[in-house]
Amino acid sequence: MRSLRREDMAIGAAAGLVSGLVLVALTLWQGMAISGLLGLTGRGPAEVALQLLLATLAGAGLAGVLGYAAQGYSAMVSGGLLAGLLLWIAGPLTVAPLLEGRGPTWSLREAGDVFSSLIADLLFGALTAFLFYMTLAVRRRGESPSARGGPSEEPRVRVVIAGGGFAGVSVAQGLERHFARDPEVDVTLVSSSNYLLFTPMLAEVASSAVEPAHISAPVRASSARTRFRRGVVQEIDPASGVVRVRTGGSVSDLELPYDHLVLALGSVADFRGLPGVEANSFTLKTLEDAVALRNHVISLLEEAEGVGHSEERRRQLTFVVAGGGFAGTEAIAELFDLVHGVLHYYPSLRAEELRFVLVHSRDRILPEVGERLASYALEKLRARGIDFELERRVESATAGALRLEGGHEIHTHTIVWTAGNRPAPVLAPLSEQLEGKGAIPVEPTLQVVGHPSLWALGDCASIPDPRRPGASYPPTAQHALREGKLVAGNVAAAIRGEEPKAFAFEPIGVLVALGRRTAVAEIRGRQFSGLAAWIMWRGIYLAKLPGLERKLRVLLDWTLDLFFTRDVVLTGQDERRARDTVVEQRVAEGAR
Amino acid sequence: MKRSGLVRGGLVPGALAGVAGGLVFGAAMADYGALPTIASIVRAQSVVAGFAVHMLIAAVIGAGFGLVVYPLRSGVGETLLWGIAYGGLWWFLGPLTLLPLLLGEPATWTVEAARAAFPSLLGHILYGATAALALSALSARSSDERPALRPSAGPLLRGAGAGLIAALLFAVALGAPSRLAALMPAAAVGSLWAWLATGLAFGIGYGLLYPRLTGSPGAALTRGMTYGFVWWVVVALTLVPLVDGAGLAWSLDAARGEFAAFPGCLLLGAAVGLLYRWLDGLRRLLFVQDVRAIEHESAGARGLRALGRGALGGLLGGLVFTVVMVQIGFLPTVAQLVGSSSVGVGLAIHLLIADLIGASYGLLFRRQSFDVGSALGWGVAYGLLWWLLGPLTLLPILLGAPPQWTLAAAAAAFPSLVGHLAYGAALGVAFYRLEARYSPWWLTRNEIEAERAERRREQVFGSAPALWAVIAMFAVTVPLLLGQ
Repeated sequence: MRSLRREDMAIGAAAGLVSGLVLVALTLWQGMAISGLLGLTGRGPAEVALQLLLATLAGAGLAGVLGYAAQGYSAMVSGGLLAGLLLWIAGPLTVAPLLEGRGPTWSLREAGDVFSSLIADLLFGALTAFLFYMTLAVRRRGESPSARGGPSEEPRVRVVIAGGGFAGVSVAQGLERHFARDPEVDVTLVSSSNYLLFTPMLAEVASSAVEPAHISAPVRASSARTRFRRGVVQEIDPASGVVRVRTGGSVSDLELPYDHLVLALGSVADFRGLPGVEANSFTLKTLEDAVALRNHVISLLEEAEGVGHSEERRRQLTFVVAGGGFAGTEAIAELFDLVHGVLHYYPSLRAEELRFVLVHSRDRILPEVGERLASYALEKLRARGIDFELERRVESATAGALRLEGGHEIHTHTIVWTAGNRPAPVLAPLSEQLEGKGAIPVEPTLQVVGHPSLWALGDCASIPDPRRPGASYPPTAQHALREGKLVAGNVAAAIRGEEPKAFAFEPIGVLVALGRRTAVAEIRGRQFSGLAAWIMWRGIYLAKLPGLERKLRVLLDWTLDLFFTRDVVLTGQDERRARDTVVEQRVAEGAR
Repeated sequence: MKRSGLVRGGLVPGALAGVAGGLVFGAAMADYGALPTIASIVRAQSVVAGFAVHMLIAAVIGAGFGLVVYPLRSGVGETLLWGIAYGGLWWFLGPLTLLPLLLGEPATWTVEAARAAFPSLLGHILYGATAALALSALSARSSDERPALRPSAGPLLRGAGAGLIAALLFAVALGAPSRLAALMPAAAVGSLWAWLATGLAFGIGYGLLYPRLTGSPGAALTRGMTYGFVWWVVVALTLVPLVDGAGLAWSLDAARGEFAAFPGCLLLGAAVGLLYRWLDGLRRLLFVQDVRAIEHESAGARGLRALGRGALGGLLGGLVFTVVMVQIGFLPTVAQLVGSSSVGVGLAIHLLIADLIGASYGLLFRRQSFDVGSALGWGVAYGLLWWLLGPLTLLPILLGAPPQWTLAAAAAAFPSLVGHLAYGAALGVAFYRLEARYSPWWLTRNEIEAERAERRREQVFGSAPALWAVIAMFAVTVPLLLGQ
């Protein structure tokens, strides 16, 4: 395409020269008293030569400007007239007075003085454009449309991005920016869901504060120039440069060849092989998880309403979250808000019968924030009536109870597991081959160790943190977004034969919502808590939500939440079955 | 394209249409006595010989027009635009260049010569317009593919609505009905009702010519502005004086007398074009039940980005313009808007305005430029609009005076005209560059997308270049010729 452009400009220069000759001929042989393209009136050999040189340059420039999408004589001549007008403004009205040292005034009088140049420029532009297109049309006769800038048949470089979370979509958007005008770089994104899930608000979906669809943005809309394939990555074969994808339905598996593969598959819940835990607990990683948990909790309330005071009713009204990190703490706080918020619909249930428990293996919750904030959060939640089982590990689970180390049992039908994650199982063979501990070990440039055309980022990669030797960057959304941007730049650099850059990022801070009107935040070392932190949480996450439309929808959800009670409508399938389906899916994915 | 089709569909109807245009132009020439000059091409003196030569030339040039328009398959209004651009180009080629050469005199291309040929300029525009209408009528008869000339009720109603609303807006903005007289030459002066009727006729005319809607609101605005120019030539300078019995107002002095209608008609046209487009948008929003007929680029989807890119482009264009503002010492006048007279305040306000205009350009013209050429076309057109709207209209109104639609004000604001055109060009190119950098929607990945882009491209190139050509030829020329 680049050489085509140069050729266009050469043709344009020739057309400009011919038009310039016509102009000179009119001046010299017809005795016309006209000033030329630049408004110069002299007729000596030097002036004529300058005139022709200028005409040639102007012709080349005109071709460079108009030649890209040449559309027939009429459009070209129109463009030529326009170029002529601008040439007149730039030349006789601006440059010529500057050269003469008096500065442009663009006044009516001055414009009147170089009026003949206006006509000269307009006609020159029209004639040059006409001649240029004539040559172009003759040369292009019989050419296929694709040679004229249509879609190219075969991409030069194929980039496959596996995973449609923050990391994957951020890479796709970055690559769109780098290769917006280069159709020869083909970017494909593979993900099992066709939307980007805004995970920080997942707990709010589980508690009915926000509609599920409002925290998810379609990948096809947010990265419109990337090819999207919905499917589950089955196998990565770096030796032959192919990714195998199961798309489901009646379509057989896809084989996607790649030149660069970006692994951004994220993580799955890690149950550490504890007996019964996987089969009897909910997780909070996908939209389906959040909806299933919400439906489960509400249907338990419906059931408990018809059961007398009994052991079963106690199990139904006890809600346990395992894991006291971000996700677990936000989940227990939101569950508390949901159940208490809708309790008035259930006249036979008393608030004292409800029990919320958070189980955590260490002596304090929220290891991600400072000690003072963590204890503030603990006190806040305790004051609301949430029980904490600290320094206790989960041992096993059954359909009606969670058993902790030391034999203590909590009778419940609701266990939410947030106590461990591991990289997507499909990456296990690659990780083992590289002697990684689950996550894929990468260089500071985010290239997989020993594989320069493989890139890994986000929750599934172990990225060395230069400030803390031996440690890796934490798997958070704010890191994934930055990593994605860097990977996009590095892949672009690799394609262009440039040097990739190393990843270095100083996290801005952390925010944890603690339910109604309370949160804790640590930003650039400063600590915030209570309403101020809560407003900050909402403001910052609202700003981070992708797309104006989703922002408005979530804002509307929050506003309605101020005036109306949360929803208790149970839709879709029976809650137990929904949970079974989710668990089955999880088991199936784990087995892979 | 078959050669026989070109002859039957382009050359022959073009020549016939040229004869029609020639009759109108010839009648006008007979009125102001230019036919003997034409006759002197064949060394004759008589009016009859002049008319015969004129008709011959008209037919030949008309045949050329038929060839130009044949591949475009445009509607009536689009063909009209091409006709005016074509006729205008022939004014530069004919009376200013070839005619003197044929008569054995050196052409001078001076302002004086061009001023002397001013009636001929109007004649060429009228010739082009008549030939275009005739060609549309002939083509509609001979072929089923082109849109029929029969008007349907919807566009006429929309046109009438747009015309009425625009007329009301003007009445409110301009205040006293006597000032509206500028837009209603000669006898029609007077009541508000007469003015509203003028607006109604203006709008219905637009609806008749442009029933099909193509392109963005910006394209509609530009089209409306050019329609306003045609209205100025055909109605203000030709029909109204004829009806009044005053004869053609084609002499330079007469045209100078009607100058106030020039910015008035162009602005009214722009307003009608935009309102027409918006009324159609409203109709689609409320009454269109078939989802296939709805555009899929909803306003909210990329609007913010277009706004931002436009603002950035406007800032860049504003910097280009600043050089001239400083040079001509115009910044203190701008500063008067906020009651200051300092250059610094003027510069800040100037850049702010440049920014706001750029942002509005982004909204109106997004996804309309395919290349630098089309970007220049839209940008320059928008620059011209803001010359008419800014220094000639809004600036005086905001400073507490009536709009300065006078020749003296326009002549004094000539540097500003050049500056606005340069501003528009820089704005258009900067916006296009930003759009091309991040979302070059015309670059496609497969055949289906390529077809969609191609359809859009055909829509734009069906008439937009004619708009650009008309603006390129007359934006500067008309004020320059009329100015003293």
